[in-house]
This record gives sequence, structure tokens and C-alpha cells, in this order.
Amino acid sequence: MASDPLDALRLPVVPVVPRPGFAAALLRQIAAAETLGTGPAEGRANQAALRDNPTVRYFVDDLGAAIAFYRGRLGFEEELVSVPGFAMLYRGGLRLLLSVPGVRGAGAPLPDGSVPRPGGWNRITLEVTDITGTVEVLRAAGVPIRADVSVGVAVRQALIEDPSGNLVELIEPAAGYRERT
Amino acid sequence: MSTVSVRYIVDDVDAAIAFYRDQLGFTELMHPDPAFAMLTQGDLRLVLVAPVPGGHPGGGSRPMPDGTQQRPGGWNRFMLEVADLEATAGKLRAAGIRFRNDIVTGIGTKQVMIEDPSGNPVELFESLRPEARLGSGAPRASA
Repeated sequence: MASDPLDALRLPVVPVVPRPGFAAALLRQIAAAETLGTGPAEGRANQAALRDNPTVRYFVDDLGAAIAFYRGRLGFEEELVSVPGFAMLYRGGLRLLLSVPGVRGAGAPLPDGSVPRPGGWNRITLEVTDITGTVEVLRAAGVPIRADVSVGVAVRQALIEDPSGNLVELIEPAAGYRERT
Repeated sequence: MSTVSVRYIVDDVDAAIAFYRDQLGFTELMHPDPAFAMLTQGDLRLVLVAPVPGGHPGGGSRPMPDGTQQRPGGWNRFMLEVADLEATAGKLRAAGIRFRNDIVTGIGTKQVMIEDPSGNPVELFESLRPEARLGSGAPRASA
């Protein structure tokens, strides 16, 4: 077949690699824009605090172990990994940043010389549908259970630890209790 | 609707409510017990709890089975994106808010850490690149 003179003008064919993370992020962006009733950036520049995906930063000693834990045990998606000191994960509307102490950026020492480290008691709270079963699965997988399932006012809750000793709280709303909007 | 929940341990729930409401724009959803309050900002639900004794009905801030008390502090924190970090930081300094550091310029953001009245960190940041902006992580998703 004779070559088409227009071939020289066509763009090269680029193989497309499936990128589910890209699609997921795009959907999140669209959902966030719809929630806000504005575009992703426009119309919000003057607000004191921009309201979008809540973000939490955890410090971890071992980036790979932390990523494996949050992905494999708690259903997070990996969005971005920048070895050696940083990763960005998602679960639902939560963006979880993992930073390694001592690495430049968030892990850098403070002016007074103190260095960030894992641990403490402040934590993210993840809702699960069967907390007893979830805790048993995690326990069987060797995940440290800091506090077993207990009953609170409106929820049952448990505290587990990531490989660096950071707490993650699991909650199951009590029967009849629904998230208020 | 709040879809993400974070729990902070505080010494004084009333002082914490005032801080998060007046300085950072949170809304108080409920404060049914002196040791418990629930605030919200956008999709973030912030649960503030003061340490309670073992028999307290609220379960989130009881001591651990080994007796260890929960307490404020540490380095893990939630982050709030602001449009103008310099301006926000200046306003907070003028209001007497404690800072752990000065503004640091990282790869995708400028950031600074402030403390609530109990010494818990909160990170404020301003995006320097579109992909660091919350909800618009798509361009880096395939990196």
C-alpha cells in the first residue's frame, strides 16, 4: 500500500500502560470539585483554609514496611513513593503521608535540633464493618494490637500499631448510630 | 459530610475547642462531655478527647490495658492547606500561637508546624506545585 503523505503529520503511537492510580486520583479530583461546587483550584484562593481531602502525616522508620502495612492490611492505595523518605497513600477521602525521620523535608530536624519520630497517641480513625473479625485477622497476621476491642458511647473501638509503632484506631459504629452530616 | 476522622488527645477540651474553632476555622459539632468534643472542617472530623479513668463510658481516651495513660504530643499530625502561608502564619503568631519551626520550603509545598494548647502539632502548608494540592494528585499518580 502506498504511504499516506499525511503520515508525516500524525502523532506517534504511544503504548498505553494501565494506570489505575491515575484514574482513581482523577475521580477523586472530580468528586472533590463537585462537592465544593468549584473547579479544583479556582474560586478558593482567598479562603483561609482550603477544604479538600483531609491529609495526615505519620512518621515511619521503615518506608517499605509502612507502605506494605497500610496497603496490605488496611486497604490503602499507593499514590506516590519517593524513596527514601516519602510516600503518599489514599484510603477513601483520607490522604496519608508517610515521612521518614532525618530525611529532608518534613523529616528534617527542627531548629532546636529535635528530630521527628513515630509514635504518640494522636491517630487516624478508620471505620470497619466487623471490628471483632478485623482485629482477629490483623492479630493472626502478627499486627500488634495495642488495645483490644472495647465499647465506647457510640462505637466499638480498638487500637492497632503500624510497624513503626504508630497507632491506628479502628471503630465500628454501634447499632443505631449513624454518622451525622 | 465528614469522611475522615482523626483523634487528638488534649489536656483541656474547652481550650482545644477554642483554638481549633477560633484560629483554624473548625466548627463544633458536639461537646456532650467535658472530656469529649467533635469538630469538623470540610471533610475532616477532629475528635478531641481528654484522658479519662478506666471506668469512663467514653472509650477513646481510657488508659491502655497495661495502665499507660494516653497523652498529647508526638509528631504525627493532620495538615491543613492554606492559600497564603506567610499571611496565615503571621496572623497566628500575632495571636500568640506557638510555632515549632519557621516556614520550610520543601519539594511540593511550603510548610510550618504550630501547636495547639496541649502541644499537639498541626501542619499548615501551601502548595507550590499543582500535584501537591489536595484532591489533584492525578499528574503524579503514575510516577
